[in-house]
Amino acid sequence: MRDLASQQHAFAAALGSAAQAAAAAPLFQGAPDAVLDRLAVYRGNVTANARKALANAYPIVVKIVCDEFFEALAREYLRRHPATSGDLNEYGSALADFTAGFPDTQDLPYLPDVARMEWLLHRAHYAADAAPLDPGGLKAALAQDATQLELRLAPACALLESRWPLARLWEVHQDGYDGAFTVDFDAGPDRILVHRPRYRAEVTALGAGAFRLLERTLANGTIAEALEAALAAEPDFDLAGALRAWVEAGVVVGVNGKKLREQEVITT
Amino acid sequence: MGAAPVPAPVPSGLGAGIGLRATHYREFLEGRPATGWLEVHSENYFGTGGYDLHVLRHVRSRYPVSLHGVGLALGSIEDGADRHVAKLKRLADAIEPVFVSEHICWGRARKRHFNDLLPLPYTRPALALMAARVEQLQDALGRRVLLENVSAYLAYRASEMTEGEFVAELARRTGCGVLLDVNNLYVNQVNHGADALAAIHAIPTGAVAEIHLAGHLVTNACVIDTHGDRVVEPVWRLYEAALARFGAVPTLIEWDTDIPPLEVLLAEAARAQSLMSECAYA
Repeated sequence: MRDLASQQHAFAAALGSAAQAAAAAPLFQGAPDAVLDRLAVYRGNVTANARKALANAYPIVVKIVCDEFFEALAREYLRRHPATSGDLNEYGSALADFTAGFPDTQDLPYLPDVARMEWLLHRAHYAADAAPLDPGGLKAALAQDATQLELRLAPACALLESRWPLARLWEVHQDGYDGAFTVDFDAGPDRILVHRPRYRAEVTALGAGAFRLLERTLANGTIAEALEAALAAEPDFDLAGALRAWVEAGVVVGVNGKKLREQEVITT
Repeated sequence: MGAAPVPAPVPSGLGAGIGLRATHYREFLEGRPATGWLEVHSENYFGTGGYDLHVLRHVRSRYPVSLHGVGLALGSIEDGADRHVAKLKRLADAIEPVFVSEHICWGRARKRHFNDLLPLPYTRPALALMAARVEQLQDALGRRVLLENVSAYLAYRASEMTEGEFVAELARRTGCGVLLDVNNLYVNQVNHGADALAAIHAIPTGAVAEIHLAGHLVTNACVIDTHGDRVVEPVWRLYEAALARFGAVPTLIEWDTDIPPLEVLLAEAARAQSLMSECAYA
């Protein structure tokens, strides 16, 4: 094992599994037992770095399952989904699906959707900033034929629909929350918007109409198409009121002409 | 491979600085703590927007800032860091850092990234690979970068040269600067008898552009480079030897785990500053 590739592959195998460490030990100076101890230090570093990255992205999952269990969960996640990027903030995108299939968390059926929500919050934290739209600008834009226009949402915005009360679960797990800790798990389907008003990502519960409107908007629908979806879900949906609130909250940050977008698509 | 860039002059007068961590953001947003400069981990600012970048832009308008990368794993046989380099370039273009630095290490194999600074053997093939990767990085960024010696818990039997010789040759071949981590030299001396003073004397006097100081953790298995404590006395002694050889090189206090109040970091930096001043007047 004198060439660099076989040295790195043997070292890598020893980092992935203690069972492979003995094969790598002859690469290094010192007594085999001491070398194995130090390979275990490296293996522990890899596990700890992955766990810290996951805990940073999933603070509510950590609170729900507790630190000790999360450590075991993270170790198993790392075994099945090793990191592929040198940027640890990208690590953990598959945790929701992983927990859905993890035998030891089956008594927490809402955990996968909590993890889905937290990954959206994590991505929102790093998303591009967007300058707020001044309400007059929206009014002027909407004076045109709305059927030809699309709302533009802030890059941090994302939607999630769940049978679990995600907005409430998010609320009660916030640092500094001091209200009642009751959560009604049978409150019916929850539709949430993840957004970042300034620098702190938040969760807001949406009505059916608002959710369908933003969903259609994120799928590049025009205002007319989005409104049609909203009214189908909620016949008395108030578009003007919703737009006012979303512009103020920095959720809607622009209005695009449909034609302009099509030109952009053609040239890219 | 491009020609080795001409070494840029070392910015003088930076003095002692500290690593900026999220724990201390508020103090830097609300006030102007007295420190010569700040260093951040590049990867924490790879987002396209958000709070971290906001804080970084704020401190950059008040202090020189250095971007210290931990994720390129330059010495890995397996390439695959193009996207990472592109993000680093975007960040460096936006922030205009005083230094961009990375580590002499590997960390990626068979599509997997270990997110750790794994040691290389001090062999000619490892040196050739590191040199090629450093040249690629300097070409991609359009600037000279600094490369840091890492702590190692293991020493390869295959090594053909000392760490100091490896670092010196890497700098000679690529024109890169050396980020001399004095604590890492000390950790390697304790862990496997590498001679820290010899490493300092193996590196050419003009090559060192930055010095790192940090604390570590002593365990049964070995000394672990946790950046989680004060700088120990033997490391201060080595630092004095480094200052005597390399002059008053910009020096950074790193603290990454069990991060204490800002005053503790600033006190460590003040101690480094006073040693630098003594060395400048010696």
